[in-house]
Amino acid sequence: MPVLRLPKFGKPVKYAYITGRVRAMKTKLIPHEMYQRMLGMDIPEITRYLEETQYKEEIDSMAKDHSGAELVEYATFANIAKTYRKLLEVSIDEPQFLILEYLRRWDIWNIKTILRGKFHGASEEEIMKYLVPAGELDMEFLEGLAKKERIEEVIQAFDGTDYYEALAQYDGKMLSSVENALDKLYYFRMERAVGGTLSVGGGLLLKYVRKEIDVKNLVTLFRMNKAGIEASVIQENLIPGGKLHEELSRMAGQSYNEFVRGLEGYPFWSAISDVAAEGGSVSRIEARLRAYLVRYAWALSNYHPLSILPVLGYIVSKDTEVSNIRKIVRGKEAGLSAELIEEQVVA
Amino acid sequence: MVVETITDGGILYGLLAVGAGLATGLAGIGAGVGEQGIGAAVVGVVAEEPGFLGKGLFLMLLPETLIIFGLAVSLILMFAWTPFA
Repeated sequence: MPVLRLPKFGKPVKYAYITGRVRAMKTKLIPHEMYQRMLGMDIPEITRYLEETQYKEEIDSMAKDHSGAELVEYATFANIAKTYRKLLEVSIDEPQFLILEYLRRWDIWNIKTILRGKFHGASEEEIMKYLVPAGELDMEFLEGLAKKERIEEVIQAFDGTDYYEALAQYDGKMLSSVENALDKLYYFRMERAVGGTLSVGGGLLLKYVRKEIDVKNLVTLFRMNKAGIEASVIQENLIPGGKLHEELSRMAGQSYNEFVRGLEGYPFWSAISDVAAEGGSVSRIEARLRAYLVRYAWALSNYHPLSILPVLGYIVSKDTEVSNIRKIVRGKEAGLSAELIEEQVVA
Repeated sequence: MVVETITDGGILYGLLAVGAGLATGLAGIGAGVGEQGIGAAVVGVVAEEPGFLGKGLFLMLLPETLIIFGLAVSLILMFAWTPFA
């Protein structure tokens, strides 16, 4: 029997504070036209510019130990962790629950970083530099993991948690299967946690995350189809749970031209049509798709102003900002041309 | 035992007073419901941008105008409208 679900009185009001706050935080993000100007600057100039923005505190505190691209990279990582922790601290109830579910991706990122570091024999200090304690696992726990000698010990530390099953797939030779399993676990856990709440906010989070999975799978398809990899291998690498999962997995293994023609008519097609049709680089297509995702999150949040969507929009915009800064700085350090860096920057 | 006779005019005047009370009271509740979201959002924005306080207070006071309408109706009912005069 269908049940009439009346909205709980005052529920959207729980989101009023956090959405007001993230909308104010959004105004402090670096404007898009600034990336163009940053492309013309050298690294010390970029650092000086960042000192005038929200990154000032991190750059000032790290400037004595690091310099150049490294300084910018570590400062942006520290800032992103601080910002996301703040979002968790200033929210309560349902918004906090949903933000934490979304931010668990940084736990996955940290576990992957530690595993990769241990796999390639990186030192504890080196691993620590790239950790972003923005999720549930705090810095103390991550530090403990980074101090362990072998990968098996790191995996053992997760015994009894959800992560263990995914980590246990490690065969001693390759990390890619473990990394893939961790990605799948993240989306599986989110669906399990949010799907159970049956709330409007949880539904909106899932709607956005499904779109995100589609975009991720699309990038995988672009890369692998271009490289001519077998359909079954590609399908293994696709993350389940996306809205277009069935259709996208059918596209695995197609020739590149056939694949691109098949994408016409999808909502994201207008964002990538010109680049994809002329056979542009995958990184350019990825940047366009990322920009599409950011626009999608904000467009959706206009329909649901008092929901989790403005917060997600802010998180995605902030992620994009940090990755843009890192791309520019690392590109400049490697001596890449401004055009090549510009292709990768998400505008 | 004193039995007071209640006139029709008395009942109507009593109902008028109840109506006047409801006009202001319900308007106040409505304004409160409207303000809870605005207030929370304004505090959120001011936490990031202290300069927004003036604008935020103005936005917060907008639903208060509803109470003025309610109050005006109450005053008219009680003092200006005299159907039984």
